[in-house]
Amino acid sequence: MNTVAITTVRRESLWSKAFYKFSRDRTGMISLVFVLFYMLIAFGVTLGWLATDWSDVQGGKWEGMSTTYWFGTNMIGQDIFSRAIYSTKTAFEVGLVVALIATAVGAVIGAISGFFSGTWIDEVLLWLMGVLDSIPFYLFVAAIVFAMQESPYAMHVAMISTFWTGSSRLVRGEVIKLRGLEYVEAAHAIGVSELGIIFRHILPNTTHILLVQATITFVAAIKSEVILSFLGLGVKDGMSWGLMIAESSQEVMAGFFNNFLAASVLMFGLVMAFNMFSDALQDALDPRKVS
Amino acid sequence: MEILQYSIRKLFSGIPLILGVTLISFVLMVYFGPDKTYELLGKNPTPEEIAEVRSQLGYDQPFVVRYVDYLRELATLDFGNSDSTGERVDALLARTIPVSLALTAPGFVLGNALGILLALFAAYYRSTWVDKTIMASAVIGMSISFLIVIIAFQIIFASSYGLGWFPVRGWSIGSIGDYFSYVAVPTMATVFVALGYNTRFYRSVLVEEMTRDHVRTAKAFGVPPSKLFYKNILKNSLIPIITRIVFSIPLVIISGSLLIESYFGIPGVGKITYDAIISGDQPVLKAVVGLTAILFVLAQLLTDIMYRAVDPRITLK
Repeated sequence: MNTVAITTVRRESLWSKAFYKFSRDRTGMISLVFVLFYMLIAFGVTLGWLATDWSDVQGGKWEGMSTTYWFGTNMIGQDIFSRAIYSTKTAFEVGLVVALIATAVGAVIGAISGFFSGTWIDEVLLWLMGVLDSIPFYLFVAAIVFAMQESPYAMHVAMISTFWTGSSRLVRGEVIKLRGLEYVEAAHAIGVSELGIIFRHILPNTTHILLVQATITFVAAIKSEVILSFLGLGVKDGMSWGLMIAESSQEVMAGFFNNFLAASVLMFGLVMAFNMFSDALQDALDPRKVS
Repeated sequence: MEILQYSIRKLFSGIPLILGVTLISFVLMVYFGPDKTYELLGKNPTPEEIAEVRSQLGYDQPFVVRYVDYLRELATLDFGNSDSTGERVDALLARTIPVSLALTAPGFVLGNALGILLALFAAYYRSTWVDKTIMASAVIGMSISFLIVIIAFQIIFASSYGLGWFPVRGWSIGSIGDYFSYVAVPTMATVFVALGYNTRFYRSVLVEEMTRDHVRTAKAFGVPPSKLFYKNILKNSLIPIITRIVFSIPLVIISGSLLIESYFGIPGVGKITYDAIISGDQPVLKAVVGLTAILFVLAQLLTDIMYRAVDPRITLK
C-alpha cells in the first residue's frame, strides 16, 4: 500500500507575512509599545481615571517641580503634569477621528475615481481634489471655523475635508492597476454589479495602503491640531498641547519653560513613536518598497 | 512656438481649477465669514446708514453678481481697497509679498538643497551607519512640531536665556546685515522642519532609481560612482524632485509663512491674510485666494515645461 505523505501547507497571505515581518522588526515593536502606552493614558483620561484635576487652580504661580506638581504649575497655578496628560486624550481624539474619516472618504472617492478613470466622473473627482489641494490650508481652516460658528468640530471638519485627497490619489492609482486584473474581469463576466466590484472586490485589496495612510494622517492631524490651537482656530474648550504652548509663549519670555517643555516632550514622544510605527507598518505591508 | 502654443492651451485648461478654488472660498467668505457692517457704523445707526454701508461693501448685491465681479477683479488684478485699512489691495500686496519672499526664500532653497545633498549621501552609503544615522535624524526632525522648533530656536538663538545673537522678533531692514540678522532664526526653523521630510522624500526617489537595471548595467561597465550618481541616478530622478519643489512654491509664498510671520511679527502676506480672515476683510482674502490658484496653474505649466527640458522623451501635447 502506498502511503500518501500529508504535508500541512501553511497558508501565506499578505497579512500573515506582514504580521511576521512586523513582529521581527524591533523598532516597529518598540514604537508600537509606546503608542499603546499613550493610548492607555488617553483611555484613562476619557474614562475619568487620570488627570481629572487638569483645570483646577490649586498651587501658586509658577511653582517648580515637586512631588505634588511633577512638572510644576503654570501662570495661574494649575498642575502642568495633569494638563499635559489630559491633552494626550485630545490629541488621540483629533487624530483618530480625522484619520478614520479622512481615510474612509479618501478610499471611497479614490476607488470610484480610479474605477471610472477616463470618464467624466474621474475628471470631476480629480478636479475636486486639485481644487482642495490648491486652497491654502490655514485659510481654509479659518474659513470653516467661522462657517461653523465656533463648533468644537470645525477643526475636525476642516482637516477631514483637506486630508482625504492624499489617500484618495493613492487608492485611485492602485485601483487603476487592479481594475485590469483577471479576477475583476471574471466578476464582470458573472454579472457582479459595478458597485459590488468596487466595494467587495477591489477596495478590500487596497486595505494595506489605507492602513499606512491612516497612520500618516493621524500624525498630520495631531501636528496640525497643535498649530491650529496655537493660532486660536483649534480646540476651544478642553486642553491641548497647542493651547499649552500658546499659554507658555508668554511664560517663556519670563524664563519659565515647564509648560512649554511638558507639552513639547509629550507631543514629540507620541509623534515620533507613531512615525516609526507607520514606517515599520509600511515596510511590513508594502512588498515593493525598497529601503 | 510649440511651447507657446502648449502654454496657452495649458493656461486655459487651468481655468476650471481657478473657478473651483475661487467659488469654494467665495461661498465660505460671503455666507459664513464675519459681517463688517456694524464695525464700520457709529452708535445707533439709522436704517439708511446701514443700507449705505452694506452697499459700499457690496453686501446688497446677489451672490452671482458679486462672484462675477470677483472674477473680473481677478482677471484685471484690481481688487479695490481693503475694508479694514482702506489701503489699495494691490499696494498692500506689493508691500507684503517681497517681505514674505525675502523671509521664506533662503529657508526654502537651503531646505531643498541640503535635503538633496543629505539624500545623496544617504543613498550613496545605503544601509551603512551613515545612511541609518541620516534617516534616523530625519525621523526625529519630522517628529518635532514646527511651532516647537520656532519657539525653541527663538529661546536658544534670540532670547536672553540663550545665546541672544539675533533680534527676538520684528522686521526693520536698513542694511544687508539687518536682513541676515532678522531672517536667521526663521530660516533655521524652516530648514530644520523641512529637512527631515525633504531628505526622506529625495532619498526614496534616488534609491528607487538606484535599483533600476540601467544603473546596474552602468555599474557593470565600470562607471565611477560619482559619475554614476550624477548622470545615471540624479538626472533620472529629476522629475519627482522638480514636481515637489515647484508645487510647494505657491504654498510657501502664502501658507508657509503664516505661522512664522504671526509669531515673529513680520509684516508679510501670511500676516495680512491671517488678519484679513479674523476681521473678514474680503477684498484682501479674494486677492490672496485668487492669486494662489493662479500660482498653482502656473506651477503646473512650469513643471510640464521643465519635464520636457530634463527628459527629451516627454513631448508637450
